Amino acid sequence: MKLTRRTLMGSAGAAAALAAFPATRSLAQDRRVRHFWWGNPTRDERTFRLIEQFQAANPGIRVSGEAIGWGDYWTKMATQTAGGNMPDVVQMDHGFINEYVSRGALLPLDEYVGNGLRQDHYDAGANDVGTIGGKLYGISIGSTSQAIPYNQRIFDEAGIEFDPLTWTTDDFAAICARITEHSGGAVTGSEDLSLYIENFEVWCRQAGTDMYDADGNLVVSEDTVREYWEFWGELRAAGVVEGPDATVQLDKGMSELGIVRGTSAMTFRYANQVGAVQSLMTDPVGAAMVPHRAGMDYGHFVLPSMFLAMTRDAGDKDAVIAYINHWITAPEAFVTLGLDRGIPPSELGREALLPSLSDVDTRVIDYFSAIQDKIGPTPTSKPKGAGEVRDNFMRTGTDVVLGYVPAAEAASRFIEDAGFILERAR
Amino acid sequence: MRRFFRRNAAGYLFLTPWLVGFFLLALGPILASLYLGFTRYDMVSDPRWVGLDNYRYMFERDRRFWKALEVTFTYVALAVPLRLAMALAVAMLLDKGLRSIGMYRAIFYLPSILGASIAIAILWRAMFGIDGVVNQFLALFGIQGIGWITTPSTSIYTMVVLAMWQFGSPMLIFLAGLRSIPRDLYEAAEIDGTSRPRQFFRITLPLLAPVVFFNLVLQIIEAFKTFSSAFIISNGTGAPADSLLFYTVYLFNEAFRFFRMGYASALAWVLLVIIAVITAIAFATSKYWVHYENERD
Repeated sequence: MKLTRRTLMGSAGAAAALAAFPATRSLAQDRRVRHFWWGNPTRDERTFRLIEQFQAANPGIRVSGEAIGWGDYWTKMATQTAGGNMPDVVQMDHGFINEYVSRGALLPLDEYVGNGLRQDHYDAGANDVGTIGGKLYGISIGSTSQAIPYNQRIFDEAGIEFDPLTWTTDDFAAICARITEHSGGAVTGSEDLSLYIENFEVWCRQAGTDMYDADGNLVVSEDTVREYWEFWGELRAAGVVEGPDATVQLDKGMSELGIVRGTSAMTFRYANQVGAVQSLMTDPVGAAMVPHRAGMDYGHFVLPSMFLAMTRDAGDKDAVIAYINHWITAPEAFVTLGLDRGIPPSELGREALLPSLSDVDTRVIDYFSAIQDKIGPTPTSKPKGAGEVRDNFMRTGTDVVLGYVPAAEAASRFIEDAGFILERAR
Repeated sequence: MRRFFRRNAAGYLFLTPWLVGFFLLALGPILASLYLGFTRYDMVSDPRWVGLDNYRYMFERDRRFWKALEVTFTYVALAVPLRLAMALAVAMLLDKGLRSIGMYRAIFYLPSILGASIAIAILWRAMFGIDGVVNQFLALFGIQGIGWITTPSTSIYTMVVLAMWQFGSPMLIFLAGLRSIPRDLYEAAEIDGTSRPRQFFRITLPLLAPVVFFNLVLQIIEAFKTFSSAFIISNGTGAPADSLLFYTVYLFNEAFRFFRMGYASALAWVLLVIIAVITAIAFATSKYWVHYENERD
């Protein structure tokens, strides 16, 4: 190629343009924060509203929110983690936080506590689960506990009277039968919860242990698993819970739940999600405890429903801290969020919330207060590989629900596989 | 050498965008994955060399690997012949010189464009669900349908039906092939009183063999790589009961849900070898059934 005046000028121009590019970026006025959460329509709407309020109160910081359903959330997060482009702030769950901390994907927040991040108003112990290896990684943004949301209209029409706190699994089975009979089979008593490991965790603790001990070893017994699948198997055989087709769909969206579609009267959710279920239906929704087996403990525990965490890819850390701090201290933030992410783990939050509670909120708060003397200690965060164990529980449970494998055999296979998964994840 | 380049320069010029893409974007990751296949790599910390461990684990201990192979091979064995048959049938219909043939071609090609899209996979889930259109249709005849996707013994067939419906690209290639068969052969056959089926087996199929072969190879490769529709229809997990655990879905789960990029890379290379072997077999058998017009036999 011959060098001409024109090509020379051209490349000089291009070089100048390239050189100018980073400069324009660093000159940008706006400080940016990317926030990623798993949500549902109500939660997303609330969160975007909070973001607007935060931006109004903090001119110069722009927050971009990204929301996705629970099922896809962890896949997308893993991809972003691998690509080194994690959002600045992510929503974490007690089952996954350890996984991310142990891989170095989250940053400890200790240096910011009292230095941009206020935490002294939190209930005692509220941030224990988010503290891993002595460092604070996850700020709890809500407390919750397990719950059985139920359709109050269907219960009333079937003439059911029960104590939503002290009822037993026998009561539960009888109620399922009564509802199915009363509706002539059009509505079953409950979703079949065979694949809900979150519900199983309560069953587990009723029998005396959690799934994992403090060191992350699998300690649940084979019998406990077998009895769980047998219990649901009997209800399925009696036709008083939803059939296999509805059951084997994993991690259904909320609008696909039997209780929302009107095909069953109960399901399992965490207490903070009862409001979201209510928002999708007109019949009033009540919250009951997970029924306990006669003669055993209740098995419930309170846990942080979710955490806010700062990732290792966070850019403007001070902006991130300001954003997180807004979530946990600004009264208007509590009002905007409501109970969707759990009961605020601070008196400050609960007080801010009081004047704006809806009917369902009040029911959830009443439920939460009522169970306080029936709960045990919060388990430590789950070991690496717990997410895969959850998958395996659903997969093995599917074989049971479809009648491929008897509960006893499936239980022994689950224990063996789970042990192996944890060992491999180490 | 100079002459070679002068003669082929235009060809290479047209290939440039693809070549640049391949060398800059594809080759690096491909080689990296070969290396990663021998490591334990969780995508956050550095990869750690583990030698052949990944491959040993795959063949000796990993039940889901074998399950994924079973699902994928079943799918390939059913979907490829059925899609090709469908494509050929439609191509022959369209070869009749209908009016506004361009419109029909476009309409029949449409599913292939849409088929890879997320929307169709979601539509498929709704169609074959327990309350889906398919069951509502069956109900007209008093047949009580099942949840086709949620029943493990039938879920794979919903995928095969989806594959059949996406016959567009092999159909277009068949159509071009049919167009190149000399008409006078059929005229001669007509005069001799040869029946239509016989014409098909004696004239159409033998002369179309190179095109069939081309489509076969392409579709086999395509079928082994099936991902997005299987991913969506099975909710990303291969559920129910791993009946939709396509190889690529399993690979994706290992890599992006369970942080085993090293193992997933090893899986990818095994898939590559499988596809290469099957393609080689297809080529080896082709000399017995594919004849080219300009060849002497």
